[in-house]
Amino acid sequence: MACRLSCSYPWRSRECTVSTNPHESPQPVLRTGPERTRLAEVIAMSEKYETHVKSILAECPDADPEAVSAAFAKYETEFFIPPQDAMRSILRRFKGETTPTPSSGSSGSSGASGGSSAPKPTRKVSRLSELKGDDREIEIEVEIISHNIRNQTIRGEEKQIAFGLLEDNPWEENGEKTRWEFKDWGPNSNITPGSVVRIEGASVNEYQGKMSLNINQSTRIAVIREGTRPIVAPGEPQDISTLPSDGYVCIVGRILATRPDQIHRKDGSGSIEVIRGRLADETGTIGFLSWEPLAHEVGTLLKIEGAQVRTFRDTPELNFGRTTKVEVYHDKNFADVEALSEQTMVTLSELRDGAKDVDAIVQITEWAKRTFTKDGEERFLWSGQIADPTGRCRMSAWNELPITEDQLPLTVRLKGVRVRAWQGIPDITVDDADQVEILDAPPWDSELDLKNHTVEVALHELSTGASRVGISTSALVVSVREDSGFILRCTECRRVLREGVCADHGPNDGNSDVRLRLAIDNGLSSVSVLTNKEATLSLLGMTESELQGAIDDVGQVAFVQSLRGKMLGRKMNASGRSIVDEQGAMLLADGASMIEEDAGLRATEIRAQWRVS
Amino acid sequence: MEGFLMQAGTTRAKRQPAWHILASEFSEATLNEKGSGEYDPSFVITKLGAKVNRVVVAGLLERLEVRETSNGSSLYQGQMRDPSGVHYFSVGDYASESMRELTLELVKKIEAGEPVLLLMVAKSKWYQTDEGAIYTSLRPEEACEIDAQQYALWLTRTCEDTLQRMKHFTDSLSAEPTREGMVAAEIPEHMIDGLLVARNHYGDIEIENYTLNIMQALDIAEGRMEAASQPVAAPAPSTDADGESGDAAAGGENEVKDTIVSIIEQLDQGDGVDFETVLTNTVARGFDRTLAEEKLDELSNEGTLHEPRFGWFRIVA
Repeated sequence: MACRLSCSYPWRSRECTVSTNPHESPQPVLRTGPERTRLAEVIAMSEKYETHVKSILAECPDADPEAVSAAFAKYETEFFIPPQDAMRSILRRFKGETTPTPSSGSSGSSGASGGSSAPKPTRKVSRLSELKGDDREIEIEVEIISHNIRNQTIRGEEKQIAFGLLEDNPWEENGEKTRWEFKDWGPNSNITPGSVVRIEGASVNEYQGKMSLNINQSTRIAVIREGTRPIVAPGEPQDISTLPSDGYVCIVGRILATRPDQIHRKDGSGSIEVIRGRLADETGTIGFLSWEPLAHEVGTLLKIEGAQVRTFRDTPELNFGRTTKVEVYHDKNFADVEALSEQTMVTLSELRDGAKDVDAIVQITEWAKRTFTKDGEERFLWSGQIADPTGRCRMSAWNELPITEDQLPLTVRLKGVRVRAWQGIPDITVDDADQVEILDAPPWDSELDLKNHTVEVALHELSTGASRVGISTSALVVSVREDSGFILRCTECRRVLREGVCADHGPNDGNSDVRLRLAIDNGLSSVSVLTNKEATLSLLGMTESELQGAIDDVGQVAFVQSLRGKMLGRKMNASGRSIVDEQGAMLLADGASMIEEDAGLRATEIRAQWRVS
Repeated sequence: MEGFLMQAGTTRAKRQPAWHILASEFSEATLNEKGSGEYDPSFVITKLGAKVNRVVVAGLLERLEVRETSNGSSLYQGQMRDPSGVHYFSVGDYASESMRELTLELVKKIEAGEPVLLLMVAKSKWYQTDEGAIYTSLRPEEACEIDAQQYALWLTRTCEDTLQRMKHFTDSLSAEPTREGMVAAEIPEHMIDGLLVARNHYGDIEIENYTLNIMQALDIAEGRMEAASQPVAAPAPSTDADGESGDAAAGGENEVKDTIVSIIEQLDQGDGVDFETVLTNTVARGFDRTLAEEKLDELSNEGTLHEPRFGWFRIVA
């Protein structure tokens, strides 16, 4: 017989599941207390495992029944492995390592039905031109060019049908593209104009030589890229809170603020007069920039069609240009300026980089005047720490505020301030002293020590929210990276050296530092955690020299493996500051501790909560 | 336009969360999803709608053996048992240094017959044959030995998460099979996509067996080992390859043949089943590969099977 390529796959199909016997209702067994004598235990054990021991002896006639029984007891008491699950391991041990493990008689998994339930094979094509008039179950990636919905009566039933144009070759910017019409009988809600989707299981329709694509209810639509191309929205206004981060929109909103401004051309060829301001409806507020004159006053209700949303830093902004239609709108029931203004009040946890016209009530916990020199001129900047019950951040002011250090902590109302991020953490900038109003007392519990206040944040909120200071979170450790332990930091910029080299400052001796690089997870979100030296040593319960000794003893790899033995799959609490960007969330921890849990207690709670008995 | 390419999936995606999952739920999955971008994560989607890219699993390490692959590198294949079934995993040269070192240590322990409770964080892997059969397995990223207390904790977490998924699954049955319908039925965001495609793929399913798995796992977590224990019905049949005990070996050989025939029966969609698929399936059911190869030849020679084209086997009608 000719040679067959014989590489073994690690794969396994569901039809070959070797499963245990289905759980039979456990017979009620008297629970025996720890007072049993050792002897009674041994006798009970050998009786208890009688059938299991017999099974093993049938395979290994030379094995010592007591040794087999003791092995079952060990698996059960020390490792929580019931005898039916320990069978194969024990059989293996008594048979010796050379024999392959046979499957037990209990093979044949529940409900296995072979490969027939596998998904229908779809034919994948990249171009519409590859398709023939009678092709079925095809898969292709396309951009949706237009999308319309109409009502149609089918067999006496009113049904919505979507139709429009789609285009193949969606990823090549200037490539050759073919357009076809499509009909969506679903209709699928995730087909939107401008989006790129993968259509799985569509069929081709040919009518009088014209080809189109039919999308059925069973067709799967996977959105690969949300619609980002500017689409001129029809005249239906949208809520401010649901505006996209890009594209043309129509809104109805009241002017909360408006002021003339100038934008200087970068090439020095002059400046452009613009109007900046803020609009609000009952769902939220948004800043605007008008490149055209806009004479409407604060309080005017406007309908704006064809405004373009652009996102600067993390904050969307409306742009009004030549094609934008602005008209006064009449709606007696629309909320007034005062009611709408309350929405600009935010907590520190809600700050977003680039936000403007922000109102907040905060406590100033530190405040100092700083001096610096710019263009040979001495200048002043006032800055310090602020806090509210949701978090902490820094605040800077370009003008002196009527605040002295002995008044601290001091509660103030901030009006119309700006947010800028520094190292990922949003900070507040005050441009004028009249943006700050001193309050007699905080609107929250005045006993709260905000200076050292740590806010407990759920992992999912932390990973999807803004970067924050003064937070702590709990989750399971799912990774202890191999570079945990001692590291060298660049003497210039503190960046971690790679083989003695800094990416920016080249080779240098570096300063030694200690850190752990972890990932924590709650099944929903994953956050990477870097613990600083202090947190690392306190978590490990070691001094720096003890840590060095531990690593020298066993080597870096074995040291990290020992950390995994202590941490992997276990719950930890970490506190510090978070940095959230497109890559995900990172927690720079200055405190970390493992959380002990009682499995028996939790199991009992779960039974009660889920009524599993 | 730089945002254009970024959203096409050329940037590294965020780290995928890890699901606590029982072997039964993972091994019964036959649905998968892979995005088009280079770094798009790949998922195995379970009957309960979990879109699994990464798992936290634990259990008794039951087997761990090295296999030489055709290109000369070493691949360690293992299986790990929890109260609901078995996980299959492999550690190859692609694994991290620490994972490979741990694997070598574990092989020694297994060879010495030492019980090992393992917890691993692993990536889900799947492979689809030309016949459409889905093979799933795990690739551990990091692992460690744990004691019975940590195993019990893992069991409780996994039971709780599985119960939560079973609830979402049950709630989703009365919802419209659309995203909006799922939102209206208060299905959380991270379950919606998985439940929509799972329902479409798996159709009506029974989830009662998961309840039984959970009951047993909770018994173990509470230390009620008597309740979690089951007697065995009959001695395990032997599939002994080296023929040291006459009758048992003959029975075993017939069992291999029966298994091979039933695999081909199940997987044949008209063109036959290829050599590798037959063997992989047979090995995965606990039989020795060399023996399986031998028996496949025998079945072919004795006329039970025929090869319509080279390397593809069908049952002679």
